Amino acid sequence: MPAVEAAAGARTTTFDGRAIALAIGAAWLLPGLGHVVLGRVRRGLLFGGLLLGCYGLGLAHDGRLALRDQRQPFLTTLQVVANLGIGPLDVAARVHVYGRPQYVFPSHFRSASERERSEIFRDRARSGTSIYGTAYVWTAGLMNLLLLFDVWDIGRGKRKV
Amino acid sequence: MQSHFLHMLLYSTIVSTFLAVLVREDRRERLRLGLTIWLAMVGGAVVLAHLMYPFPR
Repeated sequence: MPAVEAAAGARTTTFDGRAIALAIGAAWLLPGLGHVVLGRVRRGLLFGGLLLGCYGLGLAHDGRLALRDQRQPFLTTLQVVANLGIGPLDVAARVHVYGRPQYVFPSHFRSASERERSEIFRDRARSGTSIYGTAYVWTAGLMNLLLLFDVWDIGRGKRKV
Repeated sequence: MQSHFLHMLLYSTIVSTFLAVLVREDRRERLRLGLTIWLAMVGGAVVLAHLMYPFPR
């Protein structure tokens, strides 16, 4: 149940911990949904459209769906985190591109399918538009991570209505 | 789309819109911040590109 507080002309609404956790979960599941859950519908729709558009542009330009590589574990892990910021859409994109939710670059090809997935990854990286697509895809994920903090702030009443 | 410049314009528009809406509540302040970020990204890249032009390698 939201509690509304008015102070010095600025109205804020605070939510209990459960509602905030639900909103943050919703925000990760679908960009903008967390704001909608907290009643910030226009803001949520704007962010949702912006982030989904950015992510779609990235996929259309062969954006890199990062794989954790043992040879560069730190950087590639950060890349995967940026990808995962967009939520389950990342899993769906990987299933579409790699045929399964692949997150690790196969260091030893135990099967033909692992070799095929590594070739898909390399082919996309070699594409002429991949540098643009990668910027869009990773930025969309990072922007959604920022939105989780925004939802947290709105839930705690740190933002004016 | 293969144009590096058009991608830069599009990317700058997306990022500046996102940050302006995220950080500012007032419409006029949003517009001002969004334009500032957009001009900094696009203008900065164009200026930097011209400064680097005499040094291709």
